[in-house]
Amino acid sequence: MNIFLRELKANFRSLLIWAGIVALFTISGFAKFTGYYDNPDLIEVLNSFPPAFLAAFNMNAFNLTTVPGFFGVMFTFYSLLLSIAAVMWGSDIISKEERDKTVEFSLTLPIRRSRIITAKVLAALINCIALLLFTWGISLLNVAKYSPDGDFYTFLSLGMLSLFFMQVIFLAIGVFLGCAMKRYKQANSIAVSILLGTYFLSILSGLQEDLEFLKYATPFKYFDPALLLRESSLDWSFVALSLGIIAVFIAGSYITYTRRDLYI
Amino acid sequence: MSIIEATHLTKYYGKSRGIVDVSFNVEEGEIFGFIGPNGAGKSTTIRLFCSLIYPTGGQAKIFGKDAIKHGPEIRQHIGYLPSEVFYYDRMKVIDLLKYSASFYEKDCTQRLHDLAEIMELELNRRIDDLSYGNKKKVGIVQGLLHQPKVLFLDEPTSGLDPLMQKEFYNLIREENQRGATIFLSSHILSVVQRMCSRVAIIREGSIVDLQDVQTLQRENYKKIRIVAEKIEEKDFDLPGVSNLVKENSILSFFYRGDINQVTAVIGKQNVSDLTIEEPTLEEIFMHYYE
Repeated sequence: MNIFLRELKANFRSLLIWAGIVALFTISGFAKFTGYYDNPDLIEVLNSFPPAFLAAFNMNAFNLTTVPGFFGVMFTFYSLLLSIAAVMWGSDIISKEERDKTVEFSLTLPIRRSRIITAKVLAALINCIALLLFTWGISLLNVAKYSPDGDFYTFLSLGMLSLFFMQVIFLAIGVFLGCAMKRYKQANSIAVSILLGTYFLSILSGLQEDLEFLKYATPFKYFDPALLLRESSLDWSFVALSLGIIAVFIAGSYITYTRRDLYI
Repeated sequence: MSIIEATHLTKYYGKSRGIVDVSFNVEEGEIFGFIGPNGAGKSTTIRLFCSLIYPTGGQAKIFGKDAIKHGPEIRQHIGYLPSEVFYYDRMKVIDLLKYSASFYEKDCTQRLHDLAEIMELELNRRIDDLSYGNKKKVGIVQGLLHQPKVLFLDEPTSGLDPLMQKEFYNLIREENQRGATIFLSSHILSVVQRMCSRVAIIREGSIVDLQDVQTLQRENYKKIRIVAEKIEEKDFDLPGVSNLVKENSILSFFYRGDINQVTAVIGKQNVSDLTIEEPTLEEIFMHYYE
């Protein structure tokens, strides 16, 4: 419990910074949207963009002049932001003890390494949830003045649930890298590289039909906002896949960290 | 009863050597010295006992229990002072110490404040504002606050001023009298000689000798340098003299044996200057290399 509370406190500043980034991004995004809203000219402009560009930001599936359409695009950016925050928290929370050379203190306390992982992962998870709730709240505030219908709110809730799954997947990947890699300095950069790599995979799989199988390799495709909007439900096979990935990486974290030498 | 036991303890970091086939026992209530040059494997040995790293072979036992398997339970009763202390920079000293105390079953509050007073530690400063020596003091308080039964001290006084060193060694003696078993690693021979009953000498990952301190002292080389006119090398052709070098009127050599025999010879000279020194650790180790 004391580890958990200390980590929450230690990470609070980082949480505030990420909340600031999300807020900045949301406010500037919606400021642009006031120009797009019900504006037929925009569609023409968008049609003139190369399709690859639109695919990169998931803009080909949405009508940017409507609230759900615009939020669909925002969703892509949110998923990137929140996943990056999650993967960095995950990879940092274990490996920072080695980076800051505090292992000789924190790991000679009378406590099992597995309990340290549990406390730290829970603290990082709370951070992810707090950032998600903040994102949800600020989205609600910004869409309120367009008074969208009930379907939009279902879409928004499902979107947030999807974001949560993505956060946890990347948190688990980050934690695993922090636990497994003795070269702690690389854990962070590799974690972010994996995230960006999977993001580009998701663009690739959207561009070419024969690359569609790649969607299994990238969590960014597990929760397609276009599908969420059309069907108003998650694809449960991908939810199962997500849970599987999370379980594997978390189990891997416990197995590797409790058996390896600490880097001092 | 042996409190600390190493049996054929071996540690390789990949291919590079940590320690090889190290065995020793430390009895209850003993102050055991562990001495060797930097990189000999002193810290590796201690870290194996604290289960920060896992042995490649052999076993480390404390209280008769395997240090890895029963790690958390054993660590309730272990205090560890690493050679360099690092704590969470943004915490205040008092918060850090309370955080540390919260992991132990017993209430450490009183002891925490007593120790802080002895070590003259300012509790309300932030860790990252502290000097190296002050961080070390935090380490000392943190390592002792739960009144451990076993203390691992790794180069404990580096960074402390002489007055604090004295305070510290008094504290360690008190802990010892209370019943604590102490494992003191150092590269400073005089410290080990003053504090310890027995000492193991480690060199390049292996124990080269394990003796009680009195024997070591008796067997110790002295480094003698004499400045005298008309001094002759042949006057010092005694058993126990080695590395004899004469340069003009300066004669220097190592001597091992009864010090009276050599002072008697020196007494016959017209000495203008004389130094008798402890040899450096490296010089002692030359003996173990022969």
